[in-house]
Amino acid sequence: MKTAVRTTSLWKIYPQEPDPVEAVRGISTEIETGDFVAMAGPSGSGKTTMLNMIGGLTRPSRGQIWIGDREITEMSDKDLAQLRLERIGFVFQSYNLLPVLTALENAEFTLLLSGIPKDERRKKVLELFNKIGLSGLEDRKPGKLSGGQQQRVAVARAVVANPALILADEPTANLDSKASADLLDVMERLNQDHGTTFLFSTHDPRVMERSRRLITLVDGQIESDERRNHLSVSP
Amino acid sequence: MRLTVLLKLAMRSVGRNTRRSALTSLAMVLGLALLVFSRSLAEGAYDKMIDSGVRMGSGHIAIQAPEYLETGKLEHRLEAGVVRLASEVANDVLRESLLSWAPRLSVNGLASSTAAAVPVRIEGVDPELERAFSDIEDKLQDGRYLEAGDRLHAYIGTELAQRLDVQVGNRFVLTAQTSTGDVEGQLVRVAGIFQTGIPEVDQSLIHIPIDTAREWLHTPGATSTLAFLLNESELTDIGVETLQLKLENERQIRVLGWRESSPELAAAIRLDSTGNYIFHSILLAIIALAILNAVMISVLGRRREFGVLQAMGLTGVETGFVVFLEGLFLTVISGVAGISAGLLFTWGFFRDGLDFSIFMEDGIEFGGQFMEPIIIPHFSVEQLLISTFVVVTIGMISSLYPALRASKLDVAEAMKFEQ
Repeated sequence: MKTAVRTTSLWKIYPQEPDPVEAVRGISTEIETGDFVAMAGPSGSGKTTMLNMIGGLTRPSRGQIWIGDREITEMSDKDLAQLRLERIGFVFQSYNLLPVLTALENAEFTLLLSGIPKDERRKKVLELFNKIGLSGLEDRKPGKLSGGQQQRVAVARAVVANPALILADEPTANLDSKASADLLDVMERLNQDHGTTFLFSTHDPRVMERSRRLITLVDGQIESDERRNHLSVSP
Repeated sequence: MRLTVLLKLAMRSVGRNTRRSALTSLAMVLGLALLVFSRSLAEGAYDKMIDSGVRMGSGHIAIQAPEYLETGKLEHRLEAGVVRLASEVANDVLRESLLSWAPRLSVNGLASSTAAAVPVRIEGVDPELERAFSDIEDKLQDGRYLEAGDRLHAYIGTELAQRLDVQVGNRFVLTAQTSTGDVEGQLVRVAGIFQTGIPEVDQSLIHIPIDTAREWLHTPGATSTLAFLLNESELTDIGVETLQLKLENERQIRVLGWRESSPELAAAIRLDSTGNYIFHSILLAIIALAILNAVMISVLGRRREFGVLQAMGLTGVETGFVVFLEGLFLTVISGVAGISAGLLFTWGFFRDGLDFSIFMEDGIEFGGQFMEPIIIPHFSVEQLLISTFVVVTIGMISSLYPALRASKLDVAEAMKFEQ
């Protein structure tokens, strides 16, 4: 199996008075391509910091990160932005759709930045919307969508350009059980259909249950790392 | 392609918070409209002052003896031959832009009646040419202005008439040092009495026929000043330069523009203009703060959004550019609206002039010149272009700091920010 993400002795220390905060303490791990991994742990355990570092949104204090075969810790901001555009998709807890764009425009945003022609963009997004139950909502602005619908648009935005890796930070935290289950179904299907690697940070037992690998962090370190051999896409 | 995306994001963002954008735009529109209005009014007032000043004074362009401006003495006059040459050259050079011209022979003297003796400025004028040149005939209070064929007639101010205790038809004596060095008197009769509203003029200026003056002062064919009135005051400098070039070999001649021959008026306009620039600078600073405030609030309230943009693949510089474009759009849209509103308002309501007679019933003296209470706004294309350029520049500068803030965003921190 190829490696999608690899970290070696990864540290993130926030300078703070009186004592610096060690959010991540020397984590070394590998995530395989096509895996569906959940990172769990209590608040402050370093889950989000790990995702941010892997996504190149924040730089580690020490250690190295590889996305595929590219080491990213020394990359320029411009190269990191390009890497995110080409290879990483983000799903956030608060959806974070751009309020000035419609659902369709939000979903096609990364394709737009990549210079994909309009017809091709629209085709891809509409197919995806159809697949994840967003048909008919293309022209709605985020304010006119429910939380579950917004999160599905966010997922569509993250996966539409076929990135190798999706980083999802507490994606179900603001959703009810039904919407959470639906969203996880969508993600699992995309994972299976496209082989996209998913890495979640989560508190949600439903996400942990559906993951194929569960990494538990405590105080910035890996406390346990267990592989789970099941998939549970709703019929 | 990415520029199109950035433009689209910026435009949509401006349109998104309509109330804030509208309020910011309104502040700018009002500020700019006021700027255009006050500027056009000031330009109109300056036009009026210059016109009034040059008509009462030495015209847009004056030809004199080199020392005359400093001394004002009869000995520094243009003799008949020089007058002929200068007037021919000037009429030829300025013919396209020449409105009218007038010769004047001036001398300081004393006006005496049985009641008083008053120091005066006597100007020998050609009644027909002077009538077309100056508007002093319009200030007539009693009697009439000088006419061709008049010999011993005088046109005097109201205050002088009061001090001499004379009326139309009464006689009084003018005394001055002639070109021979002797002090000689000339009896004249009051043909008309004028009132300009400027005390110095009303109590000391006397017009008499130039032929009478030449004979009395023993200066046949001479003048102190050849005054030329142009279609537009903007043509003064080029006219002066051309005449100076044509007459450069004539050492007895000095060509002056109205700023030199009427230094008081030029200084008053400069002073007023400086005050206006300060006022306009304050207005523009307020506009800049409005833009800075609007864009800055927008940036501070949208940190998470900018974080998302960067997470999606936009660089920091591109994110900052979106913010910069937002500020620029706001400025350009409001700028065009403000300048248009100012033009329409000024033209719509005041194209025939703004009447200040409630504040100055009989006009006002400014820079030694009388100004009518009705001011017609003047739109200067140059001023409008400068205003537009300044506004756009201000928009760009005001948007730079918020753009810089957005470009330097810590994305991970921004994602924690609650919108």
